[in-house]
Amino acid sequence: MTASTLETHSTPSIRRYFGWSTDHKVIGIQYLVTTFGFFLLGGALAILIRTELFNPGTDLFNGTEYNRLMTNHGSVMLFLWIIPVLAGLGNYLVPLMIGARDMAFPRMNALSFWLLFVAGIVMIGSFFVGAAESGWTAYVPLSIEAPSGQTLWAVSVILLGTSSMLGAINFLTTIVTMRTEGMAFMRLPLFVWSMIATSLLALLATPVLTVGLVLIALDRVVGTVFFSVAQGGDPILWQNLFWFYSHPAVYIMILPAMGIVSEVLPVFSRKPIFGYTMIAFSSIAISLLGITVWAHHMFTSGMDPRLRVPFMISSMIIAVPTGVKIFSWLATVWEGKLRFTTPMLFALGFISMFLIGGITGIFLASIPVDLHVHDSYFTVAHLHFVLFGGSVFAVYAGLYYWYPKITGRMYDERLGKGHFWLTFVGTNLTYLPMFLAGLLGMPRRVADYAPEFTLVNQLASVGALLLAVSTVPFLYNVVVSWATGPKAADNPWGAKTLEWQTTSPPPEHNFVELPVVTGMPYDFGEPLGVPAVAPAGAGD
Amino acid sequence: MKGRAVLVVSILFVVALVCGYLVAANVNLLPEVASTRGELMQRLFNYLLGAATVVFVLVEGLLAYSVLRFRRRPGDDGEGAAIHGNTGLEVFWTAIPALLVVVIAVYSFRTLSAGEAASERPMVVEVIGRQFAWEFRYPEQGLTSSDLHLPVGTPVRFEITSEDVIHSFWVPNFLAKRDATPGQVSEFDVTPSEVGVFPVRCAELCGPGHAAMVSQVIVESPEAFEAWIERMANLPSDPTEAGRLLFGRYGCTGCHVLADAGASGLVGPSLEGLGARAGETVPGLDAEAYLRQSILEPKAHIVPTFLENIMPADFASRIPPQELDLLVTYLAGR
Repeated sequence: MTASTLETHSTPSIRRYFGWSTDHKVIGIQYLVTTFGFFLLGGALAILIRTELFNPGTDLFNGTEYNRLMTNHGSVMLFLWIIPVLAGLGNYLVPLMIGARDMAFPRMNALSFWLLFVAGIVMIGSFFVGAAESGWTAYVPLSIEAPSGQTLWAVSVILLGTSSMLGAINFLTTIVTMRTEGMAFMRLPLFVWSMIATSLLALLATPVLTVGLVLIALDRVVGTVFFSVAQGGDPILWQNLFWFYSHPAVYIMILPAMGIVSEVLPVFSRKPIFGYTMIAFSSIAISLLGITVWAHHMFTSGMDPRLRVPFMISSMIIAVPTGVKIFSWLATVWEGKLRFTTPMLFALGFISMFLIGGITGIFLASIPVDLHVHDSYFTVAHLHFVLFGGSVFAVYAGLYYWYPKITGRMYDERLGKGHFWLTFVGTNLTYLPMFLAGLLGMPRRVADYAPEFTLVNQLASVGALLLAVSTVPFLYNVVVSWATGPKAADNPWGAKTLEWQTTSPPPEHNFVELPVVTGMPYDFGEPLGVPAVAPAGAGD
Repeated sequence: MKGRAVLVVSILFVVALVCGYLVAANVNLLPEVASTRGELMQRLFNYLLGAATVVFVLVEGLLAYSVLRFRRRPGDDGEGAAIHGNTGLEVFWTAIPALLVVVIAVYSFRTLSAGEAASERPMVVEVIGRQFAWEFRYPEQGLTSSDLHLPVGTPVRFEITSEDVIHSFWVPNFLAKRDATPGQVSEFDVTPSEVGVFPVRCAELCGPGHAAMVSQVIVESPEAFEAWIERMANLPSDPTEAGRLLFGRYGCTGCHVLADAGASGLVGPSLEGLGARAGETVPGLDAEAYLRQSILEPKAHIVPTFLENIMPADFASRIPPQELDLLVTYLAGR
């Protein structure tokens, strides 16, 4: 970084958030705010779904309308919320955490965000021309026959994939080449390790989905026959292409979440993270194993029976590095001096509910059990425990934890805790009954169900309402605290990672003087470890 | 300090084991099991549920204990203990779960092999998925039905395919399913073990009528099954009864409303009171001609607001002429 780029200090204006900016912090906030908007949209679709399902029969929506709600709920939540909100946190945090002044490719970074923005507009636009209605999985031939909204859906996801790949290249280049003095790989914060693992996965897997979507778009628009059975095409090909990306995508959605939890727990336990090396390597292990498991989504597809077994084994092995993380977190908390701030509550909530998602994943990996519960509400419950109980809880933990850094203000703890408890109860009330519905025989993606499933569906619908209500204290807290909350100190939590060693919010190029790292990022505890950062000026 | 950790974990582990045993032995979360492979799966499931309970109670217990025991006391602004890790412990909690998943994988594989062992000379039933109805063909008996009748204790081989999009043939009480994929026949062996009537559901999203793509499997004694075959071989002599039967057999019930035939599908227009209006719908076509054309060429006249490409267009090749006559007469009389 040359001196000339440091001279561009000007009074920050709110207007810069509404246009092209190459500052990773502005882009990070653009990501966070935009994706939260998509989260609310996806949530509104979920409320419509749960309202329809409150009673058996098709009361509010017909089958086509229901399929559109369900398809876009899934697509918005996965492609426009969880994946990009984590990219947004990564954008804001990675340069700060490694002691860099920006991302490696600031203009490409801005492009990643604006691709997401356009993709979101395209997906919402598809609602007005007959939205996609074949599920977020878009299985052929159903997705080939669907109305024109499906083409817009494919275009939108292709744009999002491109955004994701550009982001992954940017993160990897930044982390490899722009670490400040003393920031060895084995001193990287665990969130940064999780972004390495995620970016590797995004680079390997996303192009495969993009190719598949191009084939779907060609079949639909140009009349090619890649997936047409009558002309020798193969519908199973799409499932392979789709899941080759979309199972790793689950790790793209959970690894950064695990990274957030690994940041929050030591700070509020006042203890070093337990087993730093194993947690860092388990992220890489999950990432590498993650590309070998995709066909466990296809056990019922009539694939070669012998091929199912290796996929069962690889899927189950993922439980091992995942278990390592959970046990390491428990050991981190053990004998700590726990401070139950809102981010800590969400991080502990993450462990308790992600555990349920993880354990039920073993059931789904076991072929004989999967043949019963595949495509049932059991699967719906499992994936929501991973992605809502897991990813969304970690995102909330991260938003509260870094709120003082990002805004320079403190949020209201009481509202935060109220938000946590509403969300925690709502999550369990919504998704636990779904396990039972699936085991007893309720298929997923149905607008109507047999009367025997009424009670479990009503519980889930009440829970969903609670989840909708839970966003109110959060939004109020975020907006009002940003305007009138007490000023935050530079390091209100007493954390050791570099983003806390600069002002809140950080100056335009992050650090007045680049820090020099002398220790581990989690050197908490008695006797006190070496300070993680050399005093200002020591690096000269 | 270390001693307390060992003590707490040991106590929790014993509690977890007891909970796991009680859950595996007493909790049933599955529907009534009606097939031999389902019985094997149920045993595997209950063992898994027990193991899952042990892990769940242990981890949540440790979490709850930590939250209660290690909360910061008021006024204590000190740090926790500076423990960075413990190699022995980390190896231990990598190795034990690894061992556990190996055991689960081996047990799952054995259950799978036993459950899918090929039966000797099974009775073949072809399962055909269509938007939005199931068709069951009995090639050995030369008949077709919209309900699945099976003799109890007889091995059955389903040969499953689809004529349009992907469906999935799921009998929850058999604890298994298999996708119906166009252009491919998937085999799937089941030996029904309990007499009863059980639902058949479609588990793969197949379009607007997905939720209504249901049928039933009637597992009955071999004698009752033979009697059903006899009945099916000849249509009832009463034309209304015959028409009602054909209405179900050709899957019309999946998409249309017609109380007389027990049909409540919502994808296509209601056929209630059809006889009275069929003759006036299209100028120049009397009721019978209109109904005949609407069955054989579904796109000829689309009732406003309904989907154009959803009704199968292959009835001309599937319905023999005398059965078509019976069906048209039946519909004209509604």
